[in-house]
Amino acid sequence: MNSRERFLAVLAGEIPDMVPIVPVLDGYLAPKVIGRPNDECFLDGMCLAEALAAARERFGYDGAVAEMGLGPEPNVLGCPVEIEGNDVPLVVDTVVNSREDLERLAVPDPWAGGKMEPVVRLVEQGKTDAYAVLGSVRSPFEYAATVRGLVGFMTDFYRDPQMVRDLIEAVKPATLALARAFIESGVDALVLKDSFASSSMVSPDHYREFAFPAERDVIGDLAGEIPVILHICRNSMPIVADMARTGAAALEIDSPVDLAAARQAAGRDVVLKGNIDSVAVIEKGSVADVEAAVAAAMEAAKAEGGFILSTGDSIPVSAPLENIAALTEYGRKYGRY
Amino acid sequence: MDGKKLLVQELLEKFENAIIEGDADASAEHAGAIVAQGEASADDIFARLSNAMEAVGNRYETGEYFIPEMLRSADAVERAMAVLEPYLFEQKAERSGVVVMGTVRGDIHNIGKNIIVSALRAAGYQVHDLGVNVSAAKFINKIKETDADLLLLSAFTTSTKPALLEILKALEDEGLRDKVKVVSGGASHSQEFASEVGVDGFATDVKSTLAICRKLMGNE
Repeated sequence: MNSRERFLAVLAGEIPDMVPIVPVLDGYLAPKVIGRPNDECFLDGMCLAEALAAARERFGYDGAVAEMGLGPEPNVLGCPVEIEGNDVPLVVDTVVNSREDLERLAVPDPWAGGKMEPVVRLVEQGKTDAYAVLGSVRSPFEYAATVRGLVGFMTDFYRDPQMVRDLIEAVKPATLALARAFIESGVDALVLKDSFASSSMVSPDHYREFAFPAERDVIGDLAGEIPVILHICRNSMPIVADMARTGAAALEIDSPVDLAAARQAAGRDVVLKGNIDSVAVIEKGSVADVEAAVAAAMEAAKAEGGFILSTGDSIPVSAPLENIAALTEYGRKYGRY
Repeated sequence: MDGKKLLVQELLEKFENAIIEGDADASAEHAGAIVAQGEASADDIFARLSNAMEAVGNRYETGEYFIPEMLRSADAVERAMAVLEPYLFEQKAERSGVVVMGTVRGDIHNIGKNIIVSALRAAGYQVHDLGVNVSAAKFINKIKETDADLLLLSAFTTSTKPALLEILKALEDEGLRDKVKVVSGGASHSQEFASEVGVDGFATDVKSTLAICRKLMGNE
C-alpha cells in the first residue's frame, strides 16, 4: 500500500497494512523545514505549499495538511491578520461588532487572487508522490469567534445567545465555500477545525447548543462529497460521543483525552486520529518520549483498525525536527497490522 | 459586631457572590447599595473583588466554569466598577500614579487586563490602556507621551517571555528604564519568572497588582 491508499483505506473502514501517520504539521512548522520564516510563507502561499511538500518528503508520513491558515483563510472575511518572523499569525481586529455588521458579511470567493493555487500545487505533488492531501477549514463556530473576537463572542453566550446563533448561521456559507474550494482542488479529506468548541473552553451544554448543530449541518451538507475529520483540541472527552454523531468520518483527538475511552464513547463507526501531545512530547520531549507516546497510542487504539496516528494539535515552530522524524519512525515500528 | 458593620459585611458578601455567579444586574445593584451605605473601605471592596475572582478561577480550574462563565463574571465586575469608581476614587489614600498598560505582542487576552484597568482606575491611578497585542514601540511612545510612573504588561502565559524582554530592552535603549517601574502580570507569573525577565514586580490577580503598584509608588 502506498501512503494515500493507506490513509483512504482507514477512512473506508478497511484495515490497512499499517496505521497511517498524518501529523498536524501545518504552517506553524513547515516553513522551518525549508529554512524560511513563517511570515514569508504567510504572504506567499506557494512558499507554504513547497514547505508542506518538503516536510512530508523529509519525514515520510502519509498525508500533508493543506493548511490554508497562512493563506487567505483567516482574513477571508475581512479580519486583519498580523504575523512577524516565526510568530503565530494573530487576528488583530474584529469585523463583527454589532448585529448590523452581520448584514455586511459576504460569502468569500476562495479562488480570488489565485489563493487556492498553492493547494492545487500540493494536491498535484501528493498525486505524484502517492500521499494524501487534506484540506482544512474553520467550523462556523470557530469562524464566528474569529470575526466577532473570542471575548465578544463568548460574552454573548449569556448576554445575547440569539446573536451567537445568528452569527454562526451568517458565517456558515463561508465555511462551505472554502470547503468546496478544497474539494474542487482535489484534496482527499477535509479537516473541520473547531478548537474553540473544546471542553477546555466551553461547557458541553454550550457545545451542544451552539457548535454541534453547525458541525452537523456542514458535515451533512458535504456528505458524499468528501470525508470530514472533525478537529477539537485539548479536552474533548465530555463531547466525544456528540462529535461522533455529527457524521464526521474521523475525530481528531488531542492528548488530554484517553484514546481507549474516546473509542468507547465514539463507537466503532468513526475513525480516531490522534493523540500525541504536540507540546509536551513533540516540542519539549526527547526521542525516547516520542517512542513511548507512540507505543502507548498504538496500544490504546490500533486494534481492529480505525486509527490514524497524529499529533493532537499543530506542532509548534520550536519543535526539534528529530522528534518529528521519530514520530514517523516509531509510528512505522509499532503500527504494523 | 454592630448593626452598621454587619450590614456592610452583608452587602459585601452579596457583591462578592453576584460576581462569582456572574449576575451583572445584581453586582451593580449591590455596588450601588455599598455606595449608598457608605461604610465599606476601598480595601474591603478590593479584597472582596479579589476573593470573587479567585473563586471564579477555582471554578474554572475544577471544570465547573468555562471561558463564557469567566467572561460573565468579568462583565459583572465591569458593571459594578462603573458604579463604584467615583466612591473608591474619593477614598483613595495613595499618590495617584500614571500607568501605561497593555497585553504584550503575540497575546490577545484581555479579560484579566480589563479587570485590572478598572481596579486601578478605581484606586485612583490614571490608566492609559493600549489594548492587546501591543508592540514595544507603542509602549515606549505612550510612556514618553504620558511621563508614566508604571508600565503594566499583561501576558497570559510565560511563552510571552521574548515579547517582555523586547520591551525591557527598548526601555533601556530609550533611556527610560530608570524612570518607569515595570510590572508583568498574568495567572502563570511567578517571582522566578519575574526575576528571569528582569521586571520590578509581578502580579497574578487584582489584589497583588494593587499591592505591587502601591509598593512601587512608595505608598506602602
